[in-house]
Amino acid sequence: MLRLALPFALFMAILIGVIVSDRPLPRADLTFSNGTDITTLDLQRMSWTQDMRMARIIAEGLVANDVFDPDYAIIPAVAERWEISDDRREYRFFLREDAKWSNGAPVVAGDFVYAWRRAVLPDSAADYYTFFEYIDGVTAFFNWRNEALLEFAETTAKMSAAERADEARRLWEETQQRFAEDVGIEIVSDRELVIRLVRPIPFFLDLCAFPTFYPVYPPLVQQYEQLDTETGRIISEGGWTKPPQLVCNGPYEITVWRFKRDIRLEVNPHYWNKDSLNIRSISAPSIADPSAQVLAYQTGAVEYVADVAAPFRREMVALKNEYYREHAAELERLRGLGLDPYEIDRRLPPDPRQDVHVTAAFGTYFWNFNCMAKLPDGRDNPLADARVRRALAMMIDKRIITEEVRGLGEPVARTLIPPGSVAGYPTPEGLPCLSDCETDEERRALIDRAKALLAEAGYPDPTQMPTIELEFNKNSGHDLVAQSIAKNWQETLGLPIRLAQKELSVFRDDLKKHNFMTSRAGWYGDYPDPLTFLEINRTGDGNNDRAFANAVYDGLLDASYEEPDVAARAALLFEAERMLMEDEVPMVPIFHYCDVRMFDAHKLSGPNPHPRSTENIFLFDVLGDGVGTDTVRTMPAGWSE
Amino acid sequence: MIALIVRRLVQLPLIVGVIYTLTLVLAWAVPGNPLENPEGRKPPESVMAAMKAQYNLDSFPKFYFSYLDSASGLRWARDTMSGRAAEQAEAAREAGLVPRPRPVFDLGPSLKHRDERVAGILAGALPVSVSLGILAILIAVAVGVTAGVVGAVKPNSFADMATLIVALIGISLPSFVIGTLFVLVFGVWLALLPVGGWGTVSQMILPAVTLSLPFAAYIARLTRMGMIDTLNSDYVRTARAKGVAEREVLLRHALKNAFLPVLSYLGPATALAMTGSFVVERVFNVPGLGQHFVDAVQNKDLFLIIGVVLVFSTMLVLLNLAVDVLYRWVDPRIG
Repeated sequence: MLRLALPFALFMAILIGVIVSDRPLPRADLTFSNGTDITTLDLQRMSWTQDMRMARIIAEGLVANDVFDPDYAIIPAVAERWEISDDRREYRFFLREDAKWSNGAPVVAGDFVYAWRRAVLPDSAADYYTFFEYIDGVTAFFNWRNEALLEFAETTAKMSAAERADEARRLWEETQQRFAEDVGIEIVSDRELVIRLVRPIPFFLDLCAFPTFYPVYPPLVQQYEQLDTETGRIISEGGWTKPPQLVCNGPYEITVWRFKRDIRLEVNPHYWNKDSLNIRSISAPSIADPSAQVLAYQTGAVEYVADVAAPFRREMVALKNEYYREHAAELERLRGLGLDPYEIDRRLPPDPRQDVHVTAAFGTYFWNFNCMAKLPDGRDNPLADARVRRALAMMIDKRIITEEVRGLGEPVARTLIPPGSVAGYPTPEGLPCLSDCETDEERRALIDRAKALLAEAGYPDPTQMPTIELEFNKNSGHDLVAQSIAKNWQETLGLPIRLAQKELSVFRDDLKKHNFMTSRAGWYGDYPDPLTFLEINRTGDGNNDRAFANAVYDGLLDASYEEPDVAARAALLFEAERMLMEDEVPMVPIFHYCDVRMFDAHKLSGPNPHPRSTENIFLFDVLGDGVGTDTVRTMPAGWSE
Repeated sequence: MIALIVRRLVQLPLIVGVIYTLTLVLAWAVPGNPLENPEGRKPPESVMAAMKAQYNLDSFPKFYFSYLDSASGLRWARDTMSGRAAEQAEAAREAGLVPRPRPVFDLGPSLKHRDERVAGILAGALPVSVSLGILAILIAVAVGVTAGVVGAVKPNSFADMATLIVALIGISLPSFVIGTLFVLVFGVWLALLPVGGWGTVSQMILPAVTLSLPFAAYIARLTRMGMIDTLNSDYVRTARAKGVAEREVLLRHALKNAFLPVLSYLGPATALAMTGSFVVERVFNVPGLGQHFVDAVQNKDLFLIIGVVLVFSTMLVLLNLAVDVLYRWVDPRIG
């Protein structure tokens, strides 16, 4: 019997050993769900939202956006001040003396240059490389390096290993030298950095506030980089982003990172502005399942869910609307004061139904129209005629899509750029659609207008038009949106329709090859300028899936770069977007994306409802916990989405 | 016995080697480029080629042998002997940095999670899966044996029927149903236990119980059958005739023999509990090995696929060996 008990005793010993050695950490001041797991915290290589959200907590750029300012104004960060030359092409940054790495070393100009060189080396394959092309000499440097590497492969093919290694080192020497001499980045001193741009870029400071432009600590990263003497490339390994190796310069530092378990952050003791922080520790447990994230919130395990993607979120939103209806009068009064939506919730009675928050995001869901005269398979493309595109664009009931099909009630879109998201930019009118019609007469008039456009384009009987195809991938409810649009087109115009559902990779491939008639699409802005949306329609742009080509449009974009006057520049871009949305219509905007978050506004301050939706978790304050100032921060009254 | 252990330990690298080769051939044949990010921007062709070359993904034999070199610990041994590792660590310390970790068995980087090494991922997940599996088996044995003995003492009684029915449900219902039910009842309605995560004892209870149910049910049936057999055997009758107390008869004489089939089942069961808890890990958000296995396949994360398979197969071989040894030790008639 004793012998039988032994294996169980052994089991117990292992179990107790694991439990004792794996003691849970004390609860952090703030626990939040960061959506999906981190892909990488390598600043120059990241592109995912959850990575960026974490990057902003642990790293800091030259400047930052004030997320509680309606214009997202630029404020100092590592740079305490900066000067812009009269031709607006030269930026001179002065770094603050007390900016420190988490190991106590000062943050110097060279740290930024090192990081930016990583981003523009083709060796790194940085997702956001194109942002650096605004800097003088970067494009030429990138192309030169790319060609030099190809040449290296050819010329060294017959060399001995030692000769090739010598050649690789020589090439790397030359690369460093060329970067220092030919690229418009100059280190004047440890605390002064000068950047020269290819042309005036009105949003360059906003780019400097973007994580790809944040610095890395060169002595750390160098340990993980080595010259591959076989290919002549710099190979950079991951791993330096994890504690205890990581050295960072942001408000918080990572103290524990257990893969697929949690990330734990504590205040960076060397952060220059640490007195402004209102939480001492942050924990981001890894919760993969979207429903489990909501459950974690409802059971009190997390205080903030950054991205609610649970399948039942439309029911949650419906409950919130029900709550709003119960407090309709008070809600109306508070909205009249111009308060931000989170502040409105704070002034209404607490209720669990309140805690889901839907706010406009900096992105738009739209439907692509292929503009090529012929489709890749040789068929004539009826959509090559802008009148056909205009007719189809008007015959969509966008409200049904947001309220019934998706159930989130996103704002219906008439333009590509979400209104109010870019400071000082007016929004064009755009085309009307079916859901704008309030009476049957209006509806009939709009349908007649569409039919007249088709007749002008040579299709007096729409039922005899070539079959219009709607292409989409099956996830995320795109199939339902496609069906809804198809139904509109069939019922109003009697068009022959074909729905084409594709696997995601096939779908993407079709878009790149312009092998579709109409397709679902979406775009999120990267920087606060109309160009972040308008550039994707430039002739030949890598993201111009529609193959839209219009010299007047391209000319307006070009002119906007050279126009120094802010209002005149806005007028140029306004005209470009107006042309896109009302005349040419290579795409029809359906709705503007929304962010869905979960938190109790009575207990948490810090999230901002601005459509640019940059989340600075380091600004959060758990109200009433006795840590920090425990005061609420809001958008200024009178601000509205 | 020692001969058995030695023989099996010699076989281990051979078995693992064969599994490695088979897995790599299969994983290599999966279409798609593991370095490609389906949602992100695509790097230029030449950069992609260089990235492939960096991980030896451009040539099967190159990958095969370089992976063996680092996974087997040979590269680690070379670096340590030559003093290169110590040199690099010293250089890092001089620069005020923490030297990078250097695992003996370097299973390569994760291609999807670029900040992680496979060895690090497994080192974090293995204790979780092992302790979850062990706790589940302990619960299963406690519950299963008790239920089996109760049933065997009075066959076809109400208690016997009840345990049989519960056992049938335990075997038949998939764990994602039971797990979700537990989350709803104990986590949400009664709010007694946390619904997910890992680290505290209270977080272990629900996933361990969910995982243990099919095992408990099977053990209950094994025990019941064994007990009914032994309770009718001659030596038990003799013991009773000698006037041994009933409790003594059951636990000391009957159960000891009736438990042997359970013991032989426990070997594969423990391995299964430690490695096959994928569904339970998902439902309760437990950061164990199982989820990496499925995720790795979905992401075509070559290094992680092979790493998980190697760890699983090594565990299986070792656990089977442990059971064989135990068996001989408990029951000297065998062997």
